[in-house]
Amino acid sequence: MRYVVGYAANAQGREALSLAISLARRQHAELELVLVLPQESPFNASYPPASGYQTTLANQAQEWLAEARDAIPDDVKARAHLRFAESEAEALNEAVAEFDASLLVVGAASNGLFKRFTIGSTAGSLLHSAHVPVALAPSGYFRREPITRLSCGIGSRPGADDVLGLALDSAQRQGLPLRLISLLALDQANPTATNSTATERTTMQQAAQDYLAEKLAQARALRAPSSAPVDIVVAHGRSIEQAVDALEWEPGEVLLIGSSRLAQGRSLFIGSTAQRILRALPVPMIVLPRGQ
Amino acid sequence: MSETKASVIGSGLSEKGLKAGSVGLLGAVVIGISTIAPAYTLTAALGPTVSVVGIHLPAIFLIGFIPMILVAFGYRELNNSMPDSGTSFTWASRAFGPWIGWMGGWGLIAATVIVLSNLAAVAVDFFYLLLGQLFNNPELGELRNVLWLNILTTFVFIALACWVSYRGMETTKAVQYILVGFQLLVLGWFAIAAFSQFSSGTAFDATPISPDWFNPFGVNSFSEFAAGVSLSIFVYWGWDTTLTMNEEMKNPKKTPGWAAMVTVVVIVVIYLTVVLATLAYAGVGDTGLGTGNPENQESIFAVLAGPVMGPFAILMSLGILSSSAASLQSTFVSPGRTLLAMGHYRALPRSLGRISPTYKSPSTATITAAVAAGGFYAVTRTVSENALSDTVTALGMMICFYYGITALACVWYFRKTWFESLRSFSFRLLLPLLGGIILLLMFVKTAFDSMDPAYGSGSELGGVGLVFILGIGVLALGAVLMLVMYFRDPDFFRGKVLHQGVEPRHLPVPPA
Repeated sequence: MRYVVGYAANAQGREALSLAISLARRQHAELELVLVLPQESPFNASYPPASGYQTTLANQAQEWLAEARDAIPDDVKARAHLRFAESEAEALNEAVAEFDASLLVVGAASNGLFKRFTIGSTAGSLLHSAHVPVALAPSGYFRREPITRLSCGIGSRPGADDVLGLALDSAQRQGLPLRLISLLALDQANPTATNSTATERTTMQQAAQDYLAEKLAQARALRAPSSAPVDIVVAHGRSIEQAVDALEWEPGEVLLIGSSRLAQGRSLFIGSTAQRILRALPVPMIVLPRGQ
Repeated sequence: MSETKASVIGSGLSEKGLKAGSVGLLGAVVIGISTIAPAYTLTAALGPTVSVVGIHLPAIFLIGFIPMILVAFGYRELNNSMPDSGTSFTWASRAFGPWIGWMGGWGLIAATVIVLSNLAAVAVDFFYLLLGQLFNNPELGELRNVLWLNILTTFVFIALACWVSYRGMETTKAVQYILVGFQLLVLGWFAIAAFSQFSSGTAFDATPISPDWFNPFGVNSFSEFAAGVSLSIFVYWGWDTTLTMNEEMKNPKKTPGWAAMVTVVVIVVIYLTVVLATLAYAGVGDTGLGTGNPENQESIFAVLAGPVMGPFAILMSLGILSSSAASLQSTFVSPGRTLLAMGHYRALPRSLGRISPTYKSPSTATITAAVAAGGFYAVTRTVSENALSDTVTALGMMICFYYGITALACVWYFRKTWFESLRSFSFRLLLPLLGGIILLLMFVKTAFDSMDPAYGSGSELGGVGLVFILGIGVLALGAVLMLVMYFRDPDFFRGKVLHQGVEPRHLPVPPA
């Protein structure tokens, strides 16, 4: 099992590395650290030409990778690689294919002017283009202990069955407790209703719980029996960020979520939705691509 | 339990991360022309050069190319043998030792920083002109003469370009093609408009073209000749960029040479056409729109575009603004990398050798270059009557200095291989030696002449010409910094970091 880690010698890179270590420890996975350097465009027309600069850059990058390797604990196997590419996202996707990796880990935080409203451009691109699950390390994540619980957000959006299946398999494989969070209330909520009565709300919640229990039973029927504990909770709120805020989170858990969930009707930018969720979410998020 | 290996993705990438084999002849020529930035160069240099050589400008422009090509061959040899981020600094240190190497690096940094300040200033000029033309309000255009506003806007442009360069954003192929195409179009339009006004008699000071214009010996004195050549060095600065781009070319053996030649031909044709048109239209008088008028010399097209092109002058403003802005952003790369190399080799404080882990570009070095450019411009603008033309003259001197040292470094470094072949003899001894001597001669002559307070725009500081203070003063400042660095961290100066060396002789392979 291999994970590709998008590494850089800054806070985002170190957060991604920490998350990768926590994920790898549970799975006994191997890490492939990939540091991407920009490929110089000849049309940049810089003068006087200094063609030795790329070598200087590569040497510095080797030093950064050496520091990263030193920071990795002994129980996790890791290799470091240097890549030149026009876009970091493109290089990471190629690395995933090259190493046949099952997960891509990147830092989510952004460096740009609009730090509060969007995630980094690489993470944003990957959410659109990755073929494997993408784990986003939130700002300030330094935990390295193994993961303690998986949570999974399921609603009625396309791909929910796949997400549920993947969550069940992962929990089973890693021996982790699983918590299913029903997002049905969000999907079915009537946007024009302002005040639903208490009974209406309870009815909706019960319906959501039942819906998910039924889905779970269907999924379990297709699989070998397992004793992994599965909880079902229902999320409340007008938006996913509100729902996330209202739930309680263990420090060592991660949230699995489908990428269709992020492309909500209201916002055009997957990245900004992901950032809004991440701001409310105190734990990392793993985004499962469509068709997985 | 881990190893690191550098590797490439996709195919066709060289180890050094350059996109191999992606640039064809046309692309290379576009790169060459954009590096020279003809629209910006002409507007900045035409005035100052006319003020020294008068009507013989075409001759001087033609002659000025000769030392450039001589030195470019030396540059190419050094770049092929020792590709390094520090270019002239590294090569001069290897050839002549740390002290001369340091000064060579300083000359290079000074030249690029002065160019940065000049580019930003020209961009600001045409920015306000463009505003004036867009809103049909000449007073907006006059805002560029308000001292504090001019300096402030220049700071803003420099900061923006610094930010773009710092973040590692690059000009794409499409943008570059458009910029170059537009520049050529606008310059061609200007030339045609000027010639047609000349022939229809509406020229300001119609001066018929005569063979005397092409006679370099018609220049009054050697001083003026040296000053003119030194300025025309600036005009061609950048043409040899394609000679060093072997890896990116589709056909590395042929394309760089062809591209360089085509670039030169295109540039010389454009320069001559525009220069002839300008002189035919405006003459060299020193009143009104004449090119000899000191008020026009800051930026000749700012003054002439309106009368020559009429309402289409806005295209000229747009062309020069875009050319300067693009050049400004890409020029930031150079002092950043030279400072980085000097920091890396401990010739300057090590903090300059820092690369940003997020943007993978020289962080401290780029900001230092921006601050220096801004500071240099503020000082020059406040003290000089004609800041832009004085800085261009000082720039010509600086280029002669560092380029001359580079050429001689080539000659000395390859001393063991001079007589190996005809090619070696030409490119490693004869041509760079000639080029280096010519340029250093021009440098010394111009330096002496510029002490005269009446030199250049006539600005002076304490009885000494401003151009001398800008040029030699900056070099002297470098010498002081060099001594400071020696006391702080002498290892580089003792030759412990970058060793003097020599290119070894090629031994013929013995027959089997």
